[in-house]
Amino acid sequence: MKNQVSKVIVLDTLESSALAIVTVAVVSLLVVLFRRRKKHRYSDNREPDWSIPVLDAQSDGSSFFHSWHPSVKVGTLCASCFLIVSLNTLTWSLAAVGICILAVLLARTPWERLSRRLVAISGFLAMLVVLLPFTSAVRPEDTVFLIFGMENWPFHQRGLIVALTIVCKAVSVVLLMEPMLATAPFSRTLQGFSGLGLPRKLLSMIALCHRYLFVFREEILYMQRAMRVRGFVPRTNLATMRIMGNCFGMLFIRSFERTERIYEAMLSRGYRGSFPAGPEPPKTVYDFIKAAICLVIALLLLSVDRIMPSPLL
Amino acid sequence: MHIADGVLPFSITAAGYALTVCGVGISLRTLHNEDLPKIAVVTASFFVASLVHLPLGPTSVHLLLPGIVGALLGSSSFLSITIGLFLQSLLFQFGGLTALGANALMMGTPALICGWLFRRIRGQTRTSNAVAGALVSGIGTMMAACILAALLMTAGEDFWGVARVAMIAHIPVIVVEALVGAGIVSFLYQVKPELLIPGAASG
Repeated sequence: MKNQVSKVIVLDTLESSALAIVTVAVVSLLVVLFRRRKKHRYSDNREPDWSIPVLDAQSDGSSFFHSWHPSVKVGTLCASCFLIVSLNTLTWSLAAVGICILAVLLARTPWERLSRRLVAISGFLAMLVVLLPFTSAVRPEDTVFLIFGMENWPFHQRGLIVALTIVCKAVSVVLLMEPMLATAPFSRTLQGFSGLGLPRKLLSMIALCHRYLFVFREEILYMQRAMRVRGFVPRTNLATMRIMGNCFGMLFIRSFERTERIYEAMLSRGYRGSFPAGPEPPKTVYDFIKAAICLVIALLLLSVDRIMPSPLL
Repeated sequence: MHIADGVLPFSITAAGYALTVCGVGISLRTLHNEDLPKIAVVTASFFVASLVHLPLGPTSVHLLLPGIVGALLGSSSFLSITIGLFLQSLLFQFGGLTALGANALMMGTPALICGWLFRRIRGQTRTSNAVAGALVSGIGTMMAACILAALLMTAGEDFWGVARVAMIAHIPVIVVEALVGAGIVSFLYQVKPELLIPGAASG
């Protein structure tokens, strides 16, 4: 091991135990916070939280993003997301996070839904941060920490940096989602995706699916409530799996039976393959100026990322 | 488990998108126009089912359902799963928008294979249908886990350890998915067996 790596830092007993204590403290703090959040969520009623966020509840603001034409906005921000995920270095990924926070402040979208998005990706990212430092490949000129008591699992500095870079990139894309999706009515935002080449047929399917998510969510909550008042408590056993299987089966049957009626109702209201979209607001010069500003910022980030990977040295 | 933004290299992201666009395009072309709204509505119910968390020891898991979607929708399952994942990434951030192509391949390909497999092995009795349901549910999730691991491995040698752990973490999900899948299929077989013939339900 040692002759492959140029720099090995061995932590002695004192340093290792200090590190262990700090790690345990941080993890237990997170666990306590998570528990409290969960308890708070369950305290008012016993129904689990399967709520589906309403994206466009605050769509009538007047910010930089609200006044932007949806098609141009969605196209620009999607392109910016792709440019951000192409970053390679931690420094500039951190800069991207900063810029995206500014974008959120500018859009004045609520932080609550944003924190929910961050919680959703936290599991995957936490796995990367915990695992990558211990499992990444050994390359020449790597720095490796040997922690007392864990000599078999050397801690790679490079693995940690790779993991943190991914975390920063993922967080910046998540931050961009709210300005992109929450600053126009959802149907307009979807129309914006048609500018990216999504066919209209697909868009009307997405819109219909989105509409019925809320219907079927009510349906399954209703079924779960009925099961609970009859004494059903979910546990880790075969009976629970079978009963939940029946519950899902019932949900699917209801949805399949519903499709016929929904489709006939749509036809009788004049449905001809896509939903009427209404007149699109005209695109103005300002829309394209905004697009240019965003793309220039993202391209600048990418180019400094490639030209000056480490500005501190 | 869905892949977040920023993990996969650009080439793999782009290739994933290209393949997904092809898959969706083929589905949109071959399906009848009147089937599309129906598939959309059914997709909503699969989406909602995947939000339900089942207890598993101290923690809880949610179902991925590629096997069941394949068994119920057959060749239109890829389209259904792509729409579901698109909405999941828009609404919940389950899987990043830039990784959507890769995620759709990861869930959609097993669904297509499972749909074909289910029709092959389901047999005529309730027991054989339930066993087939358990098998395709388990295999569907297992294939999704394998594709996830393979995609992670393309991100470089550093990710091989992560890929291995991700696969091991899916084993309990595979068991739960197989058991619930058996429950779903045997219930459908008793109550509305015509749903288990793909195409008949949406046609």
